[in-house]
Amino acid sequence: MPRRTRTLAWDALTSLKLTIACLAVLMVLVVACTLAQVRLGLLGAVNAYIRSAFVWWDLPGTSLSIPVFPGGLLVGAVLVVNLVAAQVRRMEMSWKKIGLWIVHAGLVLLFVGEFVTGAVQVEMRLAIEEGQTLAYVESPRELDLAITDATDPTRDDVYGVPESLLLRARTIDVPGTPISLRVKAFHQNAELRNRGPSDPPSLATAGIGSGVAVFEQPPVRNDDQVDTRALFVEAIASGVSYGTWLVSNALGGPQSFVHEGRTYKLALRPRREYLPYSLTLKKFSHDIYPGTDIPKNFSSLVHLSHPARGEERDVLISMNQPLRYEGKAFYQASFGKNDTLSILQVVENPGWVLPYVSCVLVALGLVLHFALSLARSLRRRQAVPAEA
Amino acid sequence: MNVAKMLPWAAGTAALLGAGAALLPPSTMRGFDLDGFDRLPVLEGGRVKPLDSIARNSLLLIRSQQSFRHEGRAVKADEWLLDALFRPEVSEGQPAFFINDPEVLGLIGLAQTADRYFSLRTIWPHIEEIERQAQAAQRVDSKLRTRFQGAVANLYERILLYHRLRNTIQIAGGASLADEIKARSDPAAQERQRPLASLAYFRPLPLGKSGDWRSVGEALRAPGEIDPGLEPLSRVAASWKAQDAAGFNRAVADLRAIVALPEAAAQADHEELFNRAQPFYAGMVIYLLALLALFVSWLWKPALFRETAFALLAAGAIVHTAGLISRVVLQGRPPVTNLYSSAVFVGWGAVIIGVILERMYRRGFGTAVAAASGFASLIIAHHLARDGDTMEMMRAVLDSNFWLATHVVTITIGYSGTYLAGALGIGYALRRHFGSGLDPETGKTLTSMAYGVICFSLFFSFVGTVLGGIWADQSWGRFWGWDPKENGALLIVLWNAIILHARWGGYAREKGVMAMAVFGNVITSLSWFGVNMLGVGLHSYGFMNGAFWALSGVIAAHLVFGALCLLPAKFWSGGPVPADAAR
Repeated sequence: MPRRTRTLAWDALTSLKLTIACLAVLMVLVVACTLAQVRLGLLGAVNAYIRSAFVWWDLPGTSLSIPVFPGGLLVGAVLVVNLVAAQVRRMEMSWKKIGLWIVHAGLVLLFVGEFVTGAVQVEMRLAIEEGQTLAYVESPRELDLAITDATDPTRDDVYGVPESLLLRARTIDVPGTPISLRVKAFHQNAELRNRGPSDPPSLATAGIGSGVAVFEQPPVRNDDQVDTRALFVEAIASGVSYGTWLVSNALGGPQSFVHEGRTYKLALRPRREYLPYSLTLKKFSHDIYPGTDIPKNFSSLVHLSHPARGEERDVLISMNQPLRYEGKAFYQASFGKNDTLSILQVVENPGWVLPYVSCVLVALGLVLHFALSLARSLRRRQAVPAEA
Repeated sequence: MNVAKMLPWAAGTAALLGAGAALLPPSTMRGFDLDGFDRLPVLEGGRVKPLDSIARNSLLLIRSQQSFRHEGRAVKADEWLLDALFRPEVSEGQPAFFINDPEVLGLIGLAQTADRYFSLRTIWPHIEEIERQAQAAQRVDSKLRTRFQGAVANLYERILLYHRLRNTIQIAGGASLADEIKARSDPAAQERQRPLASLAYFRPLPLGKSGDWRSVGEALRAPGEIDPGLEPLSRVAASWKAQDAAGFNRAVADLRAIVALPEAAAQADHEELFNRAQPFYAGMVIYLLALLALFVSWLWKPALFRETAFALLAAGAIVHTAGLISRVVLQGRPPVTNLYSSAVFVGWGAVIIGVILERMYRRGFGTAVAAASGFASLIIAHHLARDGDTMEMMRAVLDSNFWLATHVVTITIGYSGTYLAGALGIGYALRRHFGSGLDPETGKTLTSMAYGVICFSLFFSFVGTVLGGIWADQSWGRFWGWDPKENGALLIVLWNAIILHARWGGYAREKGVMAMAVFGNVITSLSWFGVNMLGVGLHSYGFMNGAFWALSGVIAAHLVFGALCLLPAKFWSGGPVPADAAR
């Protein structure tokens, strides 16, 4: 009977047992995610257990995967629905329950915040040397095949083709140029070595790639490392092949060829996002405690220049002191090259303020609820001897 | 006056006096003013500390003890340091090195016997082999080392520490400091003094009022006028070598007049007093006495000994608090800065909640769980302190008093509460199955205490966890990174939430809540220490091999207690209780 089914479903959806079951499943997922970090790395473990609707298990010996356990995304969604439904059904609107209302509203906000973060947060980085001025940030993982028209020495026209797009299409016409690219071979992670006499011949027919031997490697697991990508692409312009080129993020400078009097440079490099403003690293400081090598502080003195807004100012970015500017936050993350290179983590997360609000709400709600309960129980305890 | 009134006060006062006795100035050792030497400020590990701390922490690292017996008498850390610095021929014969690993002992040609302490003289002929093995082991990631590799690398590090110590003021077995001062302008001496600058373990000479400190080697090799501290320092060396007490005392006083800049001297004096008083050790002993008094109360004169136990608990709490405040002042930091101080603080929090519970219910349970938690956490802290200096400087990312004070302190209070609730659960299991059993009324009281404490810890662990997220957002732009330590904190929050919801839904009553509270200890222990054993993530500050087994034991014991809570009524001591108290 539909009515009965509806009641049953409503009961199940609002039941406290469902809440407890969800919390318990969440605990299992969190433990599994923690243990799996040793094997999968942090990002891999989070994607497998938390940011997925199901935990998948690869059937051994086949390419099949079957869902074996609910994932964090599903549990989180069920929990939010359960929370809201139970609140609507069971909890009367009374001042006695005001604390719990606030707590649960805060929790919903926390879940929403984590969801928003998972969906829209973009993490980029800015590696900048002292004295250098940069007007772009780079992706820590994603790569672009950049074709630069370097004919005019005073300006570069850059066409960035996202690697993922290139791999999907296999052949792509680079917009704004007569060039089209055809992918010949691709290695997720590889080791590049100078080709010795006993190494197999290279696929590359042009550029430095012909002298390089490429050995496929398993993808890296460690979050601090990146894959060394190796990509063989044939460059074709107006029907003429300019040979097959090896491009890799591990190769140093770009390689170039000339077509109809114009010079084109090829390079595989981190995906860039150009900014309407520029940053100049004036000084990077790495303080240590005297007589030790324990770091005391890292900071980057940066000059921020935004001509469109007429902004010219210095900013000091240090540990626990990020620069928040135009929706992006710049954090001191790392350093290198004998303390002359500063690496900033650049994060864009429109939902960053949600956890702050949530924390205040939940803390306030819990204090209110426990205080009200304590007051009631104290009144009862005082009332008992009076009755006896 | 009535004995019943007197005993609690007498016990509490005696405990406080006993702990305070360590504050009295110590007597001299054979006429040597060792206390004056102990209080001399030096710079090591990035901060000013008294020589006393150098001596204690170094000996603790090398021998796992702060004093030892040799040739029929006790040698304290300061005396050992003086010999290491100024009488290498004596120091080399002292059994300062603790070696327990049979394979490392085999490496230096010794069989494993009851004696596990060895002198440098015993080890030295094998130093090249030890160095070779240690360097091979150091190439292996510290988490992947075998037991032998870990032990030999550790021995090598301790030998290196000792080697640096004895080459800090004058070159061990070389010319005296007085001779080095005379030869200062000689280029050959300059070359000879180079190791004094490179090996120096601490810097004893302040450079004017600049806040910089110099090693002896740096001061000797610096051009221009001679450092005024060098001359009295050379007399300290010579008089200790000659065992001339009067000369030693004069030299220490002269040196102090030069090197003890007001602020550094106050810091060093305070820390030396703190080292001598050992408030956390004293607190541990007093908590143990409180527990004993409580056991007596269960057998004889309940009211009197319950009050006595509470008085002792209060005395312990005062000593514990004083120690905590002293650390906060010394470090200029909030109370929790590393694993060691978190253990001290977790215990303190549990004791304070226990004291409040005891005042509310006056049944002895608050005292029992508080004293037991305080004792246990201070024992843990005592073992964690073996890594040397417990007041090391904070690495850049942690260098934020605001977040240490909010996130770290809140979350640690959450740990305290969870442990205390667990301790109540264990108390419940024990009373249920041993002794005269548990009457329904007491069972109900214990459950309501545990419930209150769980509410309290849910609040603190939730707020602490979210504050941690906010700190992470502030410092590297990631509110929640699913880092193991964060996950551990989240597990505690989830578990406490499950307990409260199960109780509100009526799925768990007395037995269920108590068993769940006991299991909360397992989760908290895993989150607190287990994460460090996993060795991944931003928060993993130290892999602890030996602690793995201790942790496994603790977890196993808690599972047994949890199961005891859940056993049905027919297993209870005193048989089933007729009332429908438990489900």
